[in-house]
Amino acid sequence: MITQSAVEQLEQALGKDKLITAKEDLLVLGYDSTPGLHAMPDLVVYPTSTQDVIKVVEVARGHNIPLTPRGSATGLSGGSIPINGGIVICLTKMNRILEIDEENLTATCEAGVVTLDLFNAVAEKGLFYPPDPGSQKISTLAGNVMEDAGGLRGLKYGVTRDYVMALTCVLADGSLISTGGKSVKDVAGYAFKDLLVGSEGTLGIITEITVKLIPPPQTKQTFLAYFDNIRTAGEAVSKIIAAKIIPSTMEIMDKATINCVEDYAGIGLPRQMAALLLIEVDGHPAVVAEEAEALKAILEQVGSAEVHQAKDAQDAMKLAEARRTALSALARVSPTTLLEDATVPRSKLADTFTLIEQLTEKYQLTVGTFGHAGDGNLHPTVLCDERNEDEMKRAHAFYDELYEQVLAWGGTVSGEHGIGIAKKGYLAKQIGPGGVAVMRRIKSAFDPQGIMNPGKIFVSEQE
Amino acid sequence: MSDQQLLGNFTDQDAPAYEDVLQCMRCGFCLPTCPTFALTGRERSSPRGRVALARAVAEGRLDFNLAMKEEAFFCLDCRACTSACPSGVKAGEVMEICRAQVHQQLPAPKWQGTLRNLVLKKMVPNPDLMETSMLPARLYQKLGIQWLVRNSKILKLGPAWIDKAEGMLPALHPPLRPQLPDLSPAKGEKRGTVAFFLGCVMTLLYPEVSRQTVKVLNHQGFDVITPKQQKCCGAPHLTEGDRDTTREIAAFNLDLFLDLDVDAIVTDCAGCGAALKEYEEILAERADHERLHLFHQKIKDISEFLFTQGIRTEGLKPVEKSVTYHEPCHLCHAQGISKQPRELIRSIPGVEFREMKEASWCCGSAATFSLKFTDESQKILDRKLENVRKTGAEILVTGNPGCHLQLAWGLQQAQMPQSVLHITELLGLATPD
Repeated sequence: MITQSAVEQLEQALGKDKLITAKEDLLVLGYDSTPGLHAMPDLVVYPTSTQDVIKVVEVARGHNIPLTPRGSATGLSGGSIPINGGIVICLTKMNRILEIDEENLTATCEAGVVTLDLFNAVAEKGLFYPPDPGSQKISTLAGNVMEDAGGLRGLKYGVTRDYVMALTCVLADGSLISTGGKSVKDVAGYAFKDLLVGSEGTLGIITEITVKLIPPPQTKQTFLAYFDNIRTAGEAVSKIIAAKIIPSTMEIMDKATINCVEDYAGIGLPRQMAALLLIEVDGHPAVVAEEAEALKAILEQVGSAEVHQAKDAQDAMKLAEARRTALSALARVSPTTLLEDATVPRSKLADTFTLIEQLTEKYQLTVGTFGHAGDGNLHPTVLCDERNEDEMKRAHAFYDELYEQVLAWGGTVSGEHGIGIAKKGYLAKQIGPGGVAVMRRIKSAFDPQGIMNPGKIFVSEQE
Repeated sequence: MSDQQLLGNFTDQDAPAYEDVLQCMRCGFCLPTCPTFALTGRERSSPRGRVALARAVAEGRLDFNLAMKEEAFFCLDCRACTSACPSGVKAGEVMEICRAQVHQQLPAPKWQGTLRNLVLKKMVPNPDLMETSMLPARLYQKLGIQWLVRNSKILKLGPAWIDKAEGMLPALHPPLRPQLPDLSPAKGEKRGTVAFFLGCVMTLLYPEVSRQTVKVLNHQGFDVITPKQQKCCGAPHLTEGDRDTTREIAAFNLDLFLDLDVDAIVTDCAGCGAALKEYEEILAERADHERLHLFHQKIKDISEFLFTQGIRTEGLKPVEKSVTYHEPCHLCHAQGISKQPRELIRSIPGVEFREMKEASWCCGSAATFSLKFTDESQKILDRKLENVRKTGAEILVTGNPGCHLQLAWGLQQAQMPQSVLHITELLGLATPD
């Protein structure tokens, strides 16, 4: 519980209007998109400047109160859930794009800028910010950085980390650090910036971000390939990569996902097919034409049932939009959607699909699988009901067995959603006790009091 | 499990179904589409937040308290979140049902309750009473009292909503319902027969618009039957949380219209159309599901109907105007009708159609929202007007009287040159008499 004196100090430091203490507000500021997770903060603050954030950290430090940063709460591993109560620091009101530097091809933003707003603002100047997580319409940039969010364009353009050039961050002792800059190269000392990306708010609170921008591709072509068998779709992905074609997007949806997305979007997806791949190649027109031909040849050779091409940019956008709704659309079918983020080396894709099918059968579950096939990043999603204990047990057993094999193949337990609360156990299996110990040491170097988003990523020594 | 209704702190009369709130997986796709979230940045005033609050009430973690009442009525019920939700959650409907809980759990002071009952239960369901009640307003305009009031600024002394309500009032004509013949015959080659559902606001405030609707339908080859006994659609009662009266009215209208031998039941009010299409759910407890479904299938918004039938353009006069289109929430979000009105506008010879930004963003009218929350409504309206301004169009077309009132008032206040026309008024301009 937060003490009255801490509340008064915060009121004095920030002004009453930036503080939220009413129960009905607190009730809705302790969840994100991760199923089954919810906690009540004791208080929520809405800072409007870096100085505000520093003041909050000072008070939290003085009273030993846990601090959990939050953006739009669209995370998928529970990163912004205040499991130990305390203060939630909601950064959505720090949402100004401070600068678009056309000479250096960078943009500098406050933490709470919405990803798609940045994309649109730089697009108006003929520039391109590629990372496009599924929730880009509302996700915040600092949230993307903290979870190192991916997206549909990861295969060719990389993920959020690949675009972060500089960060301004408030540390647990109330100090402010700036790390990185607009220089293309920077090897001065430890790469704090890279440590902060993906740190899920456990090392500090980001208040400003400078990202790299690139020129947009001149043209693109978008294809939909249908398959009678999901394994064949997996083989197609491996063959395309082996042929040295790097599409900007190579997404997969299985039959369950196709049907849910079609229920929502109604754009004529093939309901009877076992799987489809959404593939986009972009770049110089000559290269795109050449890659598109090669792509079609490979798809035919592996035995794709049908290949269709999007007729124009609008058509292609509709397909990508529809793909982005996959997870939420799967939620039509059941009250609870348990989703995972397993990622394997791409040569193992077809085997992974087979394994998912076997485990689905073994544990008698309904599973919808979609994901960034080109990245080897899959989101097998169990459609279940959190009120059915037995089903939930089987769902967890399904993931335990799946992850065991994924790790044996050299894969990872999280491609892009982060560890948060939901996957602490799996991370420990992936990196071992030695790995966890190093992470704990890094954490305590940054945050000896343990007030920065405690209880996330790894099991703390107290747990 | 699924058939068990978890009520928690809801009463069992008109409570949101627990399954419906559980369906939300909190992805946040609704957030950027919600006008009240855009306005406040406050999670509890977002669809995701409101559904989470309803869930907390159902799970007994929150009382049905004042905050629930505030959110139930602060929600515009614009349904933009329903369009955006891939999981099929209907946050607007959940809030609409919560309004019924407000009247059970947090009753208003007695005089307010009496007034509410008088209006909702006695006046609105009775078309004759409604028409008589408009007489003073018409006299008010005819005798020059309106001029006096407006120039004396006397209304600035009272609550903001009175001044706004007075300012919104269009030039009044006698109600249309008693004037329309039972049958207005088709012109040219006859293509079918439709029944006309004439909404209260249309007949009382916009009779000349609905006259154009009948003219256009006749010219397009349809006999138009207007049953005089028809009552209000029940939407005002739903919005105010009086679901009992809605059910009574719905049952009456349903039987009245289904007894007619018509191809479709057409309305030119998006709000009525949305409510009529919901009769099937509102009356779900009735046994005759086939009849309910048949009724649903017959209800057509005028733009939906004309587009499906295909408009006969021969003989239409060119309208040399630039036109932009504001989508009524109860047309695009509640009924999924978005493409049809645009195609109709484009099919009128001479018209230059200009798409506006955020055409499907609410105008801030939202039934009585514009009077209850005058400041918030103004901010939502300003956003809309700015998007209208950017098109530079001469005419702003829409298809719902609530939007019509709000937009016309807003344009006038902002001294913008656009005139607001209902889509059938625009079609009426092209249609020879």
